[in-house]
Amino acid sequence: MKNKIILFWAIVLIVIASIVTICVKPTKLGLDLVGGSRLVLEAETTKDIATITPDVMSRLQFAIENRVNKLGVAETVVQQVGDKRLLIEIPNVTDLKEAKAFLGETAQLVFKKEAVGKDGEQVWEDVGLTGQDLAKSTLSTDQTGQWVVSLEFNAAGSKKFADLTKALVGKQMAIFFDGELQSAPVIREPIYGGKAQISGGDSGFEYAEAERMVNLLNAGALPVPAKIVEENTVGPTLGADSIAKSKFAGAVGLGFVMLFMVLVYRLPGLIADIALIIYSLMLFALFKAIPVTLTLAGIAGFILSIGMAVDANILIFERMKEELRAGRNLFTAINSGFDRAFTSIFDSNMTTIITSVILYMLGSSIVKGFALTLAIGVVVSMFSAITITKNFMHLIFGTGELKYPALFGLKASEIGKAYEATETKRENARFGILD
Amino acid sequence: MATSINITSRHLIDIVKYRVVWLCITAMLLLPGTIGLIWAAIHNEHHIPLKVGIDYTGGTILQYGVKEDISNTALGTIRTNLEKAGLENPNIQIIHANAENQKENKDIKNIISIRTKFIGQETSTVNKITEVLSQDYQNPDLISVSSVGPTLGKELFKNSLIALTLAFLGITIYLTVRFKFDYALAAILGIAHDVLFVTGAFALLGIFYNVQVDGLFITAILTVVGFSVHDTIVVFDRVRENLRYYSKKMSFGEIMNASVNQTLARSLNTSLTILITLLALYFFGGVTTKDFVLAMILGITIGTWSSIFFCSVLVEFWEDKKKKAVSAA
Repeated sequence: MKNKIILFWAIVLIVIASIVTICVKPTKLGLDLVGGSRLVLEAETTKDIATITPDVMSRLQFAIENRVNKLGVAETVVQQVGDKRLLIEIPNVTDLKEAKAFLGETAQLVFKKEAVGKDGEQVWEDVGLTGQDLAKSTLSTDQTGQWVVSLEFNAAGSKKFADLTKALVGKQMAIFFDGELQSAPVIREPIYGGKAQISGGDSGFEYAEAERMVNLLNAGALPVPAKIVEENTVGPTLGADSIAKSKFAGAVGLGFVMLFMVLVYRLPGLIADIALIIYSLMLFALFKAIPVTLTLAGIAGFILSIGMAVDANILIFERMKEELRAGRNLFTAINSGFDRAFTSIFDSNMTTIITSVILYMLGSSIVKGFALTLAIGVVVSMFSAITITKNFMHLIFGTGELKYPALFGLKASEIGKAYEATETKRENARFGILD
Repeated sequence: MATSINITSRHLIDIVKYRVVWLCITAMLLLPGTIGLIWAAIHNEHHIPLKVGIDYTGGTILQYGVKEDISNTALGTIRTNLEKAGLENPNIQIIHANAENQKENKDIKNIISIRTKFIGQETSTVNKITEVLSQDYQNPDLISVSSVGPTLGKELFKNSLIALTLAFLGITIYLTVRFKFDYALAAILGIAHDVLFVTGAFALLGIFYNVQVDGLFITAILTVVGFSVHDTIVVFDRVRENLRYYSKKMSFGEIMNASVNQTLARSLNTSLTILITLLALYFFGGVTTKDFVLAMILGITIGTWSSIFFCSVLVEFWEDKKKKAVSAA
């Protein structure tokens, strides 16, 4: 009993934490639901790339897409329009300055090497290594705990970089962004394998400085520079009118489901409804904390997982009714209801998790959003439908007898009349022991 | 009841006795949709068995600048009027114009962006749209007409199919480990059955009511698949449990019958709860998600049917055949 009270307070804590998260964190809804900003980028030619070919455009689109969709969920839509323009729609962000900051710098990154000018002064020379050779840059710390900027080149870049560093040992190599010198680290040794680190010298990088570097480097990993030619804010693609109606409809639907649960399953149904509300709070808080941008597809995954949470409770309650009809006492019936229903809940949810993991890894953006919310939803629903409901049932019913069968939607005459009670004997001992 | 052991309180459905009937009904349910799919595949452009929307084909974006504010209800009116004028599934979005960008016409407050199928050089269609908008807005200014590529291209569609195939494989392996290969195969056939029914229904809707399939259709199908497997596993789980206790006293057919009936209340109640939400969304919800919800309503309903009358019957049928083969030998 003591454990159950501790668990109860743990659940209360989780609920409070969820509510706080929901209040503090902003909701991120997709472009289809809230609208956002709409930017149009135009690709520009460079010395190396004189014409914008479809191949360059698709590489630019890929680079921009990687940058804006970090979780891989269809948060931001990047679409090719015409020959050299990209349409970028960023959900939620209605402040255009913020939208541009989110998109990041679109100028190009160039690596240069140290050379000596005519008058003996230091000049920088192009080496043919640019942002398009860079795969990505990340912020990390070295053994001494100082901030370092890690670089990772792609296959072509790795080779160029290895050749360069071999020739430049002891010399400086500079990183230029938009024509400005950003950093000029000294090459200590030849670097093979395409991975490098820039440390901030003896004093080390400040966090903010290192972070700025990483952002610039990632921004520079574009095949060609691009400039913003159009900027507007937009309404939701699914139409604001439709969404307002669907919100109302969704609320009505959920209300009916809750009513249905109470009417059919009585007190346990009410408990399941409370568990369902807790479930929704937890899930919503998780979505905000991660954060997951909710699109309609994501909400479909959410609704499906609510359905599965309700299903788990229906399975359990139907089983409890059967056990009560078979004449088992209340405590045993509750426990075996949960234990017997567990294998089917587990197996069906496992297949759902397998499916969503595969869909998330391989699917396209629209499918990814669905798979992500579904997977998170199913895991949380196992907790809410089993742990929370069971805890509440035990706290309310204790170990006493079932005095009012109507609480379970049963008639007194039904109890103990159903079928032979041989079924659970083997496990009776386990169910009978208080945990 | 004739059997000496009766493990359910109610016997409502006899799966085993009427199995031929159930299989025939299943076949009849699938037939019209299958014919629809084949017919559409022969007659449609590019031989796609479904009528696909601009998400898959790409289309034309028309942008009109207007000086008025646009409310939600006005947006709905625009959509209905355009549909009345014969424009199929227009996708309408409001762009709030950024004053700095509108160098030529600073009065423009909002831009109505209409995405529809390829119009190309058909000025008549453009004129028709302009006319519709002129009813409610003063001199709507046609800012641009441009074509857009598909947001869900062939590549994306192919990737989704590969992912789905692998997911099926994953489910098969899992169910084979937890149950038996027969059960896994029945569950997969059940999914195929449900997907075939829903796509068939949409092929028919496409032929008769010009209903298009958009990007959300994939999501609806995935949702249906999720539920279908759930339903089937719940029945199979009960079979597995009953087999453990009664396999010596009852025949497999009796056990299958009992299991289906024991889980019947749950199957119906679960489907009902989902259908309640979906029906509310269908009748009170927005226009743009109606087809998406309809696909799920059809799928959940057929999924309940298939888990009771198709998957269970299949497993029982195979088991029966095996037994006969053994006794014959």
